[in-house]
Amino acid sequence: MTTAGPALDRQPADEGIGTSSEPSAPAGPPSVRAAGLGWTYSGRTRPAFQGLTFELEPGRVLLVLGPSGSGKSTLARALAGLVPHVLPGSWRGHLRIGEMDVAATPARVLGERVGLVFQDPDCQLVMARVDDEVAFGLENRGWPRERMQARVPESLRQVGLAGFGRRGTATLSGGEKQRLAIADILAAQPSLLVFDEPTANLDPPGMYATVEQLAALARRREHTIVLVEHRLEAALPLADDVLLLDDEGRQLAFGPAGSVGRGAVALLERSGAWVPQAWRGAEPRLDAAPQPGTAGAGSSMGRVLLDATDLQVDYPADEEGSHRALDGVSFRALAGERTAIVGPNGSGKSTLLFALAGLRRPDRGSVRVRALAAGGEPVEEMRDPSRLRAEEIARRIGMVFQDPELGFVARTARDEVLATDGATRARGRRGGADTPPPDSDGVLARFGLGHLAGESPFQLSQGEQRRLSLAGLVLRPPAVLLLDEPTFGLDRRGTEAVIRLLDELRETGQAQLLATHDPRLLPACDRVVALDRGRIVFDGEPARFLAEPPYSPPGPWRGGVVPTEAAR
Amino acid sequence: MSLLPAPLAPIRPAFLTRVTPVARLTAGMIWLVAAILTLDPAVPARLVVAACVALVLCSGLPLRRIPGRLAPLGLAILSLTVFSILLSGSNADRSIAAIVELGPMRITGPAVSAGLAVGLRVVVIGLTTLLVFGPSDPTRLADSLVQQWHAPDRFAYGTLAALRVAPFMAGDWATIAAARRLRGISPGGVTGRAREFGDRLMVMLVSSIRRAERLALAMDARGFDSGIRRTHFRELRVGWRDLLTVAVALAVAAAALALPR
Repeated sequence: MTTAGPALDRQPADEGIGTSSEPSAPAGPPSVRAAGLGWTYSGRTRPAFQGLTFELEPGRVLLVLGPSGSGKSTLARALAGLVPHVLPGSWRGHLRIGEMDVAATPARVLGERVGLVFQDPDCQLVMARVDDEVAFGLENRGWPRERMQARVPESLRQVGLAGFGRRGTATLSGGEKQRLAIADILAAQPSLLVFDEPTANLDPPGMYATVEQLAALARRREHTIVLVEHRLEAALPLADDVLLLDDEGRQLAFGPAGSVGRGAVALLERSGAWVPQAWRGAEPRLDAAPQPGTAGAGSSMGRVLLDATDLQVDYPADEEGSHRALDGVSFRALAGERTAIVGPNGSGKSTLLFALAGLRRPDRGSVRVRALAAGGEPVEEMRDPSRLRAEEIARRIGMVFQDPELGFVARTARDEVLATDGATRARGRRGGADTPPPDSDGVLARFGLGHLAGESPFQLSQGEQRRLSLAGLVLRPPAVLLLDEPTFGLDRRGTEAVIRLLDELRETGQAQLLATHDPRLLPACDRVVALDRGRIVFDGEPARFLAEPPYSPPGPWRGGVVPTEAAR
Repeated sequence: MSLLPAPLAPIRPAFLTRVTPVARLTAGMIWLVAAILTLDPAVPARLVVAACVALVLCSGLPLRRIPGRLAPLGLAILSLTVFSILLSGSNADRSIAAIVELGPMRITGPAVSAGLAVGLRVVVIGLTTLLVFGPSDPTRLADSLVQQWHAPDRFAYGTLAALRVAPFMAGDWATIAAARRLRGISPGGVTGRAREFGDRLMVMLVSSIRRAERLALAMDARGFDSGIRRTHFRELRVGWRDLLTVAVALAVAAAALALPR
């Protein structure tokens, strides 16, 4: 199948405003019209977005593209009336949904017609049980009980969750949670659906299921849909129109999807979107990974830095009996090698990282790691990381967590870079007090954070936080670096920046292990280890994994286009 | 991934799982009042027996997991009892005969009695809490508070949402500790450790507030507290089971107080 979907060839719309394409729809999908629209959060000087002028015809699908920080999410919030009615700030221009002026219509009235699905499923599910969760929005809107009792199972059926009513929301997979979030908003029968990066936090099967759900909704033409998404290959085939934003939240382009397809690659690249490879010619998606041994610290390359044998980790028994998260996993990480750990939600990726870091002692089996000397030569015998003192472990193992905020240890970006070095010096073990203080600002500058040295790590954007969490590992690089979803929520530019920084850290001979949901990262790795229900089901080269993913169905793991256009 | 044990939830339908949460709450409060009314350890002791009977017969909770769940409380109860006995004022009263006398330390009968009363009260609180909150999920309690006690929506469901975020906070705390260990940060000394604790707390506070803000926004987006009178998906009616529960709780409390020693 081709990467460019037929949606690209669709004719620009010239139907009259307000004609409903689906007379059967309850209220009829509304048009969305913005004129000179701008919003600045209170306390900020830079607008989240500005000067947006576009007209979306009823029943069409608008794809909003833009780099991180371009105000895409804020636009989604504006369409749902959260901006300006809930969040403080200043509003300019006009935004109309059908006949409603968003700024002049109470949130309550907007809420009747607009449904918004957020990026993180864990931050939008309110209730403990699935049916209560779907009913929550209906209760808020004052629906009578009989109507709710009919509507809740109907909405669950619509997203393929029939029979899930009595399940606990916490027991659902990421994809199921996101489909539940879609059921939540569908239940109230809104006519404008807004999706804010609905697939960003999902594993490949969850992403597939969600995109297929979106495609089914788009196909029915009962709603006007605004989709914020940077997985272009998944989203563009669904789109009728595209709105492109730049870093400053200004409008780069608005028009039918066909006009910003292959012809606008440069524009799309500028927007930070993942442009399908087929449109970009032969150039690789990410810089091809240098082979182990070609990077800087020659002689240590290929030596074993981490050796895990026959790991078994059990979680305490609950109603369904005990749960084995890892089952006989054996694994060696070599100096200079970058390994991707992949697998569906719950396959044991995070548990494996925690066990390798010595943060979760395995119920059976062992983990041993060693440190690298300054020249990249492995030193000292292999040690069990769970038994090491803090100052010993920092040289052996580093970890970047899914949420970089939780990993910050200092009050400014500069101190974040210095923290490990400072703690080590304070103990006077290595690098005596007479050596000059390291060049933290130089490190920050290399990571594109030079202007933020005095800022609190918590004030930074998502991409900046991710880079800072890596910058904190530069002065005293650990021999083994573990990364849990290092590109979560990042656009293409953010992802490429992370990979470049990982390349730099690897120069020291570091072994890198990254748990990821994103097949697009695999070509930048030397090796793929695939987990399924706590066991290793594949260990080999990325190309071989992508050609024949060891999962059923294999489609979602290839990282290509979601085959939805046949559906449209 | 979850490092936390699964919540204690009923594994089979039982009498108390079909009692509305506010009726259980009322019954529980009656017992708590009875337990603190006197200094006589016999009263909380009788209530402990009654609570154990209720847990076994009509809570539907997995009994084998209860001791493990109460273990941390057990330690607190033990130390509370011991210190109450040791520090009791009646030990100093020379007119009361001592049961134990070791050098300057003497322990009297009333001191033991008062200490046991304190310890047993906490046991009553622990077991009653299980009986009140164990048999149904928090959503039912919020529904029940709003429908039967007319608690404000914002309070009841806001608390409920906060409860949903709580397990994440425990996970966050573990991650924060792990991150700092791996970065080689482990200050020694009392002040160093106190500062370290403060720093960890700050990170968790920031991240919890972010999470709560996102959840609040999602609730607002779904029309929560928008001025419309809220309806209820699940109807809770006061029935004979609720009245029976409160009546039995009252009778047991009265008997515990009135029975001669």
